Amino acid sequence: MRMRGIIVPVVAALVLTAACGGKEPPAPPEPTGPTQAEIDAAEQARADSTVAAEEAQQAEIDAANEERQEEMQRLRATLTEMVHFEYDMADITSESERALRAKVDILRNSPDIRIRLEGHADERGSNEYNQALGSARTGSVRDFLTGFGISASRFAMVSYGEERPLVNRSDESAWAQNRRVEFQITAGEIHVSDPDDRQ
Amino acid sequence: MTTETNVMRRWMRIWTMPALLLVGGLLIPVGPAEAQDEDFPGVTLGLLYETAYQPALALKPFGGRLGGEGPAAQVEAIIGRDLRYTDRLQVMDSLPEALVGGDIDYGLWDQLGAVWLLSGQLEGAGEGYVLSVELHDVVYGEVRNRGRFRIPDVESPDFRLAVHIVSDAVVRWLFDEPGMAASRIAFSRRSNDGQTQEIYLVDSDGENLRRVTGYGDITMSPAWSPDGKRISYVSYKSGFSRIYELNLDTGAEWALEPVREGDYITPTYHPDGRHIAFSISGGAQSGLFSFDLERDCCFSHLSGGRWNDLSPTYSPDGRWMALNSNRLGTGTPQIYVMPAGGGEADLISPYLHGQEGYYTSPDWSPVGDYVAFHGRIGRYGRYQILVAQVSDRGRRITRLTEEGNNEDPSWAPDGRHLVFVGRRDWGTGLMVVDTATGNIRLLLRGLDIRTLEWGPSLGIDGPETLRGGGF
Repeated sequence: MRMRGIIVPVVAALVLTAACGGKEPPAPPEPTGPTQAEIDAAEQARADSTVAAEEAQQAEIDAANEERQEEMQRLRATLTEMVHFEYDMADITSESERALRAKVDILRNSPDIRIRLEGHADERGSNEYNQALGSARTGSVRDFLTGFGISASRFAMVSYGEERPLVNRSDESAWAQNRRVEFQITAGEIHVSDPDDRQ
Repeated sequence: MTTETNVMRRWMRIWTMPALLLVGGLLIPVGPAEAQDEDFPGVTLGLLYETAYQPALALKPFGGRLGGEGPAAQVEAIIGRDLRYTDRLQVMDSLPEALVGGDIDYGLWDQLGAVWLLSGQLEGAGEGYVLSVELHDVVYGEVRNRGRFRIPDVESPDFRLAVHIVSDAVVRWLFDEPGMAASRIAFSRRSNDGQTQEIYLVDSDGENLRRVTGYGDITMSPAWSPDGKRISYVSYKSGFSRIYELNLDTGAEWALEPVREGDYITPTYHPDGRHIAFSISGGAQSGLFSFDLERDCCFSHLSGGRWNDLSPTYSPDGRWMALNSNRLGTGTPQIYVMPAGGGEADLISPYLHGQEGYYTSPDWSPVGDYVAFHGRIGRYGRYQILVAQVSDRGRRITRLTEEGNNEDPSWAPDGRHLVFVGRRDWGTGLMVVDTATGNIRLLLRGLDIRTLEWGPSLGIDGPETLRGGGF
């Protein structure tokens, strides 16, 4: 698109020079250069290929961006994937350990990310004890992550005990889903490294 | 435990309370026999006191003068129900004026079976009324006590409280013990959509239900100041669990400024009304702290470790504290007693190693050496109300309930009744159990109540009182 703006004035100047010739109006010279149609066609071809090049470039950028977005989404999902706990326990299970390990690299690469940890318990047990149990669960999660060198100051913690269930039923499956720590990103951007750096 | 020994245990005497006038009698079983897996180790099913003789009390229809005619019956009805709720008396059904006459005929009341007779006269006194009540000893045929009480207009928000104060005066005349009529229960109630919880108050007789917070968030764990003028609670309205105090008279709110990270939960007042104790849970270390409200300063660390200490509750003299702690393991929280300033904690709940015994929500009686809490055995066990006598460090534990689920007990100011959240086939809600008779009544039906505390007596030296007991 940029090229078209230059070509148009040049062609116009040629036309003007030809129009203001000698004293006697000479016979119109035999057209020696390209015809207007040829000029237009050439111009169009150049313009078209410029556009095509730009479009290709843009497509490449879009694809990269899309990949970045997808990667960002994937990292965000990994970072905010909740972890679950055994009944009346605050210990990190082996399943939760895998989920938490996956968060460590993201937190390392995105040092401005801040996380709010929300601890929850299932409905069994007393409301107040379950608040403390939720606190113990957020504490376990943070301790695990700080054990990998992530600064404790990047986490805020709150326990809702049994007061905010994910699933409002009274069965084993609901209880298992409700015993959890949730991760909310409260500040910072997820840093996605360049495709070339990424192997 | 075989069924036979179970039955034997239910008929065993627990221990006696010397302060109570005891006439003796058998313990009444409070419900059907239970499944064996709910047996708490070393715990006896029964009542805290031997069942005392309940004298019959009649109410002579209250009279009215100078505008007091209309509300007199209402005042009589409130007092009659209050006295019935004490579980100390057999309150006889009201009899029509035409039958019992204007003048008091002690012979007639004696024939009707009354031991005590309460008569009352309500007189208009410009603003509000003056209620004169007389307590008659029917057997001796004489007036035992009389008192005059100022009662505001029926429309006044203080009307019912003023009448409840009269009921507590009558209990004091009869038994020389504190009553519970002039008191309120604070509780957190979950909204129908399950999204929010607010603090509500209700009078001791289940009337006058009202909401006192409106944050549109989760607010829970209410605690009463000893003068009944302030409540403290936990709210998540800031996005974190923090402790607040609300002045019920002025509506002024105060927030505890956090000094360290963690969830600020389970506030309670020291009997001096000046300090609160609470738990800071989570973070590197979890523990109990106290704070000086008067000076608005001075966090004091009481206990804690890599476990959770929570739900502190002071003894009436303020020298001891019961608390909930999972120092033996997260799956088996237990109840402990320790010096109020911190120190060695003694286990008082019926812990048995290897058994999934779960004990939480302690509340220390306002008049004696009893700590109530709830517990269950095994993760599918049902919650029952237990009471530990702590004068001998929990060696004696009594289980008060058998049916359904029973959670979060809190003592009435009379030190004899407990309110709790009960779930039964026949109803769910706020229930009151009498630790002497085992009577259980439903105070508020159907509300989703989460945490609660029964407040102090508002009758002692209350501004509404003209001072009963002879004039």
